[in-house]
Amino acid sequence: MPVNVVVLMKPVVDPKAIVNFRPDGTIDRSAVKLVVNPYDKYAIEAAVQLKEKLGGKVVGIAMAPLHAVDSLREALAIGVDEFILLSDLKLAGSDTLATSYALSAAIRKIWQKLGSLDLILCGIESSDSNTGHIGPEVGEWLGLPSVSYVDSILEVRDGSVLVKRLIEGGYVVMKVKLPAVLSIAGTSYQPRIPALREVLAARRKQITVWNTAEVGIDQSLVGLAGSPTRVVRMWRIEIKRRGKIFSDPDVDKMLEKFLEEIRRDGISLGVRS
Amino acid sequence: MTFSKILVYVETSEDSPAEHSLELIWKARELASKADMSVEAVLVGHGVFDIAREVTYRGVSKVHVVDNPRLATYSLIPYTTAIAEVIKKTEPEIALFSATVIGRELAPRVAARLKTGITADCTDVDIGSWVDPSTGRKYEKVLYQIRPTYGGEIMAAIVTPSHRPQMATVRPGLFPIPPRDTSRSGEIVGWNIEIADEEFSKIEVLEVRREQRKVDLKSAKLIVSGGRGCGLKGLELVRELAEVLGGEVGASRAAVDSGWISYDHQVGLTGQTVKPEVYIAIGISGAVQHVVGMKDSKIVIAINKDPDAPIFRVTDYGIVGDLFVVVPKLIEKLKRR
Ligand SMILES: Cc1cc2nc3c(=O)[nH]c(=O)nc-3n(C[C@H](O)[C@H](O)[C@H](O)COP(=O)(O)OP(=O)(O)OC[C@H]3O[C@@H](n4cnc5c(N)ncnc54)[C@H](O)[C@@H]3O)c2cc1C
Ligand SMILES: Nc1ncnc2c1ncn2[C@@H]1O[C@H](COP(=O)(O)O)[C@@H](O)[C@H]1O
Repeated sequence: MPVNVVVLMKPVVDPKAIVNFRPDGTIDRSAVKLVVNPYDKYAIEAAVQLKEKLGGKVVGIAMAPLHAVDSLREALAIGVDEFILLSDLKLAGSDTLATSYALSAAIRKIWQKLGSLDLILCGIESSDSNTGHIGPEVGEWLGLPSVSYVDSILEVRDGSVLVKRLIEGGYVVMKVKLPAVLSIAGTSYQPRIPALREVLAARRKQITVWNTAEVGIDQSLVGLAGSPTRVVRMWRIEIKRRGKIFSDPDVDKMLEKFLEEIRRDGISLGVRS
Repeated sequence: MTFSKILVYVETSEDSPAEHSLELIWKARELASKADMSVEAVLVGHGVFDIAREVTYRGVSKVHVVDNPRLATYSLIPYTTAIAEVIKKTEPEIALFSATVIGRELAPRVAARLKTGITADCTDVDIGSWVDPSTGRKYEKVLYQIRPTYGGEIMAAIVTPSHRPQMATVRPGLFPIPPRDTSRSGEIVGWNIEIADEEFSKIEVLEVRREQRKVDLKSAKLIVSGGRGCGLKGLELVRELAEVLGGEVGASRAAVDSGWISYDHQVGLTGQTVKPEVYIAIGISGAVQHVVGMKDSKIVIAINKDPDAPIFRVTDYGIVGDLFVVVPKLIEKLKRR
């Protein structure tokens, strides 16, 4: 049975970059490179593996400003067939409730176009907002079951998907009716590196841009006006760690230095001495 | 109609309220006394009235119970309906969940059902008034939801001024457990919530594989933890170092999943939250899910061969090197002292 999969991916500020604040306290996103949220690459990998095994289509979707386009090419190279960029100034300032509403409206439209939809995959959380809310909230807006912390997709059969989900102290195996939303935790899906040929081909693939009107999004439910939450303050935390790094090919010397240093700092390593 | 209560969703563990839920009750009581509100709880399951009684001993004035044989084990959609219906009927000002693997999927689902805002993974919550700078309007009993963002370098304070309830998930391991006082009496209210058959059939649990916890790392003064970089042989070194230092042995989830050590040693989001005087991480990369479980340790030492490993960003003393060379030498030197 071929499966049609939508993968949600979020362009984020490169997690390796240091974020800067504007004078008004908001984050300055303009200066830094956007990349696909690292967790979402596991979801892409999972989708592409399903397609290779069962056939079907993989459609990627991101809600982001237009300049995020470049960060999405990598996904097209990995095996995403089509890409939708939901982009509109009216979406700016959306919190997770508003974002999940807008994404679910766009998913409905993709669903209509494909005729059928089986799975919606997303990452467990984004590296900038780290909420993990979007998966369950999209599930709720669409009236579909959702499972967070999915370690692996075991089987798709008879209108259901069998998944292994991480829990405290172990796993559960669950059977979920399709269509379903799964947040992929990434432990089992090592994202592949696209070949140069695929990277070049991806440059020619089209990314379709949709605005809120085309998707039929109720504008009172998105953007700042449609968001129940407000960020009132942001501040950088000082990492109070000492951050002393010891690196020396002469291990004996390095360890002597380390032991001397912690002795000087008055730290007892708990040795019964 | 006035809203004046804080509702805490209580997870169960065996036949007791989960520890992290009790911690949340402690925090809710603190907020309630500050803003002159009451604390209530909601419990979902089957045969949970005794657990509800336990919850009242921790200082909760009312426990709402949705007890139904079909709710005996956790299932996302029916639990969402049960909790959302109790919230609609009782109209709390604030609803708090623990940021566990269950809370982090259940709470946003409930929030979307109620079309309200939610903040994830708060490390603290406070209550007070808030003035919207753009309209000048003042809101009372506003929940200040404080959380790390951008991978933990930045903190944000978030409010939900005009939607109710104000919802948040709060990280476990941050607050004390309120003392158990059997002289306290609280009301227990049973709710009969209608849940459609279809809601139960969408997700079926076929198998649960779980290990019980025996080792208690919470009170350990020194912990030496091993990760994927160790392998079975490296974990022997980890154990030896712990022995020499008189500490306990911890592990990352990768080491546990590889079968090198049992789950009760696991530190992190799905393991234990620890706060020793000294935490030594060996062959552990420092994934957020591990770091949330050990970041409040007083002193962190890491041994890793990769100088760019994220663990070095949260350490006091970082040793860059191959653990198979470094750890035996370290043991030797410590023994000689
Ligand atoms: C829902 C969920 C819950 C999770 N819960 C937890 C949790 O509770 N606890 C937890 O720990 N993780 C948890 N994880 C997993 C977490 O995301 C990481 O996958 C895990 O912590 C990685 O473990 P690690 O650091 O041991 O392995 P890796 O990330 O593989 O790191 C191994 C490290 O060892 C180093 N190394 C290798 N060889 C050597 C050597 N010879 N000498 C020195 N250094 C060496 C490497 O440089 C590397 O940094 C969870 C994940 C999810 C999705
Ligand atoms: N703006 C967005 N566009 C597309 N997908 C998103 C967006 N925001 C979040 N997601 C998806 O939802 C997951 C959880 O994100 P979050 O709730 O922000 O932590 C991410 O891993 C993405 O798969």
